[in-house]
Amino acid sequence: MSWNKRIAIIVKLFFSIIVIVFFYWAITNNMLSHITNEATEFLALLKQHITIIFISGGLAVLIAVPLGILVTRPMFKKVDWLIVNMANLGQTIPSLAVLALAMGILGIGIKAAIVALFIYSLLPILQNTIAGLESVNKQTIDAAEGMGLTSLQILWKIELPHAAYSIMAGIRTALVINVGTAALAYLIGGGGLGVWIFTGIQMFDHTYLISGAVPVTVLAIAMDYLLKGVQMMVDPKGLRLARKIQHMEE
Amino acid sequence: MIQFKQVSKVYNDEVQALRGINLHVKEGEMAILIGPSGCGKTTLLRLVNQLETMTSGEIILHKENIKQIDKIKVRRQIGYVIQSNGLFPNMTIEKNVMIVPDLLGWDREKQKKRFHYLMELIGMNPDEYRRRYPHELSGGQQQRIGVARALAADPPIMLMDEPFGALDPIIRLRLQEEFLQIQREVRKTVLFVSHDMDEAVKMGDKIVLMRNGEMMQADTPAKILLHPKNHFVEEFVGEDRILKSLKLYTLRDLVKEVNLCSITDINDKPSINLDASLHHVFSMLLHQGYQQLAVVEQDKLLGMVDISVIEQFIRLEQQKLL
Repeated sequence: MSWNKRIAIIVKLFFSIIVIVFFYWAITNNMLSHITNEATEFLALLKQHITIIFISGGLAVLIAVPLGILVTRPMFKKVDWLIVNMANLGQTIPSLAVLALAMGILGIGIKAAIVALFIYSLLPILQNTIAGLESVNKQTIDAAEGMGLTSLQILWKIELPHAAYSIMAGIRTALVINVGTAALAYLIGGGGLGVWIFTGIQMFDHTYLISGAVPVTVLAIAMDYLLKGVQMMVDPKGLRLARKIQHMEE
Repeated sequence: MIQFKQVSKVYNDEVQALRGINLHVKEGEMAILIGPSGCGKTTLLRLVNQLETMTSGEIILHKENIKQIDKIKVRRQIGYVIQSNGLFPNMTIEKNVMIVPDLLGWDREKQKKRFHYLMELIGMNPDEYRRRYPHELSGGQQQRIGVARALAADPPIMLMDEPFGALDPIIRLRLQEEFLQIQREVRKTVLFVSHDMDEAVKMGDKIVLMRNGEMMQADTPAKILLHPKNHFVEEFVGEDRILKSLKLYTLRDLVKEVNLCSITDINDKPSINLDASLHHVFSMLLHQGYQQLAVVEQDKLLGMVDISVIEQFIRLEQQKLL
């Protein structure tokens, strides 16, 4: 067993113990009691939270993936940088500011929260889509073209399967970040589990804070695992093998 | 049949990549395009499947001007093999090989049969490799699959851009042999880009030597080696061009033209078969220090061969080709 593996196991063990101790403490001190005592309220907030994430994330996927495909086509090669820069700029603005801006335009409520998170999710997906599509070997494309595949067939049969892993990684990053950022939706009246978190902060009531924060964390981890699974699924077997072999040669 | 008529290509209005190329590659003929890098050989090849566009001139494929046929349609009738990375790593070997037939809408049964035939042709087990992926194969195997894929829809024309260039020398030699075997069976019209003169001599029915976008000489290997048209050709084919030319002939060719030496005491002399190449005979004569070798055909002794006989024969060939 290598040193790296040993350290990884020690770190995992350490954090598992912390998590177990934390839950033991939280449950024995009734820190998560609100979840069971106010179950309907909790479920409503959870539903709001998930709605914000999935609608904003879904819209971002629907816009960013086609946009990424479009800008990597030969005719748009020249404006590629412009679009990436614009999306980059969007990412440099703090999430709170994006929320505030969205509220300024759309008023308070869940809509503003969705729009803000949508804007915030665009970049990771767009960047990964472009990177994935551009990673396809030029000679592979040349061979496909030379054999008489149309550009659409090349996109569908070669480029997208190559980029799928990377695109899914972008979606995963965006959605996992969204789970956390959606907690800020409370600030502009968007609801979600942030309501309990901020209530807890304002009232110095740890039970509310923890009853809101723990589900958000669990949701983020669950989302990460779920999307990791999807990422593995969309990655063609042949490419997985290719990466493995490349890795071994290095 | 491929015919180039006054084909020229200019990049960005200034760089002349090809100048007035006239070339005729006959049906079933293999023409090797060779020359120093930047001579335009690859560009010339890529004009045929329109991966590059020409500035002026005409290319005729089987009486049809390529400008008048749909680009995609032309490409599907041309087999295309490139140096490496040409296989699609996300697809299985069967999907890779059958890509053009699939695009052409062949039914499943026909595709299956064709896949079987092609895999046998390249000497790989169809059932063993059907579901494998390109990266699980060695470089030589990948390149064999590349050849099978180009042949898949039985195109009359093949374009090969240094197909064996990235392989190590032993595998390269083997694949050259194999491809010659295949070519004897399928008889395609082949344009083959190479940078290796030995490969050109071995594979080509015709060698097209290029420099700076111009055609220097287009002739049979024998003519290129024995009668280089100018100083550049002479230099490019190498000082050992006469020696290389010995690979083109066998003892069978020799006995038709010149007389062997009379039979002397053969007890201490090794024998050699009538089908041996003169290159092989010559190196045996030098290497083993024998003055003569005994030429046999099915246990029948025909005579003796020595260096002067070979010399006489090459002189004669040289005169014949004038």
